[in-house]
Amino acid sequence: MLTKRNKIANWILVVVLIALSLFFLFPVIWMLANSFKTDAQITADMNTAAAFIPPVLNGSFFDNYISILTNTSFLRYMLNTLFYAAVLIVLGIIVNGLAGYALAKIKFPFRERWLLVIMLLMIVPMETIITIHFLFVAKLGLLNTVIGYILPMIVNPFNIFLFRQVFISLPDDIYEAAQLDYCSPIKYFFTMVLPMSKSVVATVSVFTFLNVWNDYLWPSLVFTSSDLLTAQIGLNAITANDNTTMGQTLAVITLITIPVIIIYSFFSKQIVEGVVSTGSKEG
Amino acid sequence: MAFFGPALVLLTIFLFIPMILTLIFSFTDFFALNPDITHFVGFENYSQLFHDEDFRQAFGNTVRFMLIIVPLQGLGALSLALLINKVTHCKKYFKVAFFVPVVMSLAVVSTLWIQIFSPEGILNSILGNFGIDPQPFINSASQALPSIAVMSSWQGMGYQMIIFLGGLQAINPALYEAAEMDHASGWKKFKDITLPELKPLCIFVFITITIGAFRMLVQPMIMTGGGPSHSTYTMVYDIYETGTVNWEIGLASTMSIVFAFFVMILTVIQTVVTKERGNKHADKKK
Repeated sequence: MLTKRNKIANWILVVVLIALSLFFLFPVIWMLANSFKTDAQITADMNTAAAFIPPVLNGSFFDNYISILTNTSFLRYMLNTLFYAAVLIVLGIIVNGLAGYALAKIKFPFRERWLLVIMLLMIVPMETIITIHFLFVAKLGLLNTVIGYILPMIVNPFNIFLFRQVFISLPDDIYEAAQLDYCSPIKYFFTMVLPMSKSVVATVSVFTFLNVWNDYLWPSLVFTSSDLLTAQIGLNAITANDNTTMGQTLAVITLITIPVIIIYSFFSKQIVEGVVSTGSKEG
Repeated sequence: MAFFGPALVLLTIFLFIPMILTLIFSFTDFFALNPDITHFVGFENYSQLFHDEDFRQAFGNTVRFMLIIVPLQGLGALSLALLINKVTHCKKYFKVAFFVPVVMSLAVVSTLWIQIFSPEGILNSILGNFGIDPQPFINSASQALPSIAVMSSWQGMGYQMIIFLGGLQAINPALYEAAEMDHASGWKKFKDITLPELKPLCIFVFITITIGAFRMLVQPMIMTGGGPSHSTYTMVYDIYETGTVNWEIGLASTMSIVFAFFVMILTVIQTVVTKERGNKHADKKK
C-alpha cells in the first residue's frame, strides 16, 4: 500500500520537475526557436505558443546564421579566441606547472613561505589590480596587441596550487631512476611528470579555456576597435550595430555557446572535480 | 629555482607590483593623464569615498543585489538538489536541464535577457497570459536591480545545485537507515540528518554567491550601463569607470582596496569553513 503511494508521489514529482525545468529553460528554448526566424516572424509569434517552436524547415531556415558568419567578422572573433585560449593553455601549463612542481618536489630557499604566498594570492580578487594591469599595458604601448592581452593572464596562483597538490603525491623513486639515466630535470618534467598527471593537465586546460572564452572585462579593456576582438567582445560589437536584427542576435549568442557546450559534454567529469576541489569557478 | 623562475617573474610584474602600487596609489591623487602633479594625500581618498554619492550608491546597490541573489540562488539550488536527489526517473535530464544556463557566459545571458525583458518581449507576453500588466523591468530604476538579480540567479543556480547534489550523495546512508528503524518521518529525517550534514556546504555555497554578488559588473555593463539613474551601478563598475575611463588611478585604487577588503574577509571565512568541512570528512574516515 505504502509503496504504491510512494510510486504515485514519485511520478507526481517527476511531472512537476519536468514542468519546472521547461519553465526554467523558457529563455533558452525561446532563443533557439527564434534564432531561425525573421524579426517580423518573431514579433508575430510573440503572443502565441509558436514563440517556442522553430519555423518549418525551408530554404531560409539558416539565414540568420549564414548572414552572421558571412557578413560579420564573428567567425574571426571565434577563431581569435580559440587561438588565445590555445596559447594561454600551453604557456599556463608550462609556467604554472613548473612552479607547482618546484613547490612540490624541488628544494629551494623559503619554499614553504612561497607556498603560503601563493595560497594568500588566491584570495586577492583580480578586479583589484585590473586598473594597474590596464595602466601597465597602456604605458608599454601594448593596447590592442595580443601580447598585451596575454601577458598578465599567464600566471595563475590557483593553477600553481592545483599542480602542486597533484605533483606532491608523485613517487620520488621515478625521479631518482631518471637521474641515473642522466635525464635533465626539465626533460624529466615534460616527458615524465606531465604525462603522468593527465587529469590535472586536463582540468587546468579546461578551466583556462572556459576563462578565456567567457572573460569580458579584461579583453574589453585591451581590445578596442580591431580585428583582435574575442568572441564575447565581438558579440557586443555586433549587437551594438543597428543593422543587426533580433534573430541574428539570437543566432550569435547560440553560436558563441556551442564550443562551451562541446567542452562541457566532453570534460564534465574534470569540471565537476575541479568545482568540488577548488570550489570556485570565477565569475 | 629555474622551475619557479618564470612564474616568479610574472607573479612579481603582474601581482606583487600591482598590489603594492594599488596600495600606494590609494593614498595619492594620481591622475594618469597628468602624472606630474601627483601628491601624497594621506587618507583623503578614503574619507572622500564615504561622502561620494556614486560610490555610496554603488555600495548600497551591491548590498541590495546580494540580499536578493543569495537567498534566491542558494535556496533555489538547495531545493532543486533535494528534489532531484529524491526523484527516481529522468535524473540525468534534470541535472543537465538546470545546468544549461551555467554554460552560457554572462555576456550571452545578458544579451539574451535584454530581449526577454524588453517591453514587448516574451516575459511580458507570458505574464500577460496571467493577466499581469507589462512591466518595465530593466528600464525602471525600481525594477532594474531585482530583474538583474533574478536573471543572475537563474544563470548560476545550476552550478550550486551540482555542488549540493554531491553533498547529498556524500551523506552516510546508514544515518537514514537508523532513522527509519525509529520510524522517523520524512520531515524529521530532513531536519535532523540532511540539514545538519549539509550545513557546512550551505555556508560555503552562500558565501560563494555573496562573493560573486560583490564582483558583479558584466550584467549592468551590457544591459543598463549602470542605470536607470545609477540604480544598477556596482562597486566594480565604479572602479572600472574611475580607473580606466576617467584615469583617476588614485581614487580607483582606494575603491579597489575597500572592495578587496570585503571580498578577502569573505574568502577567509569561506576558506576556514571549507577547512572545517575537510577535517570533518577526514575525521569520519578514521
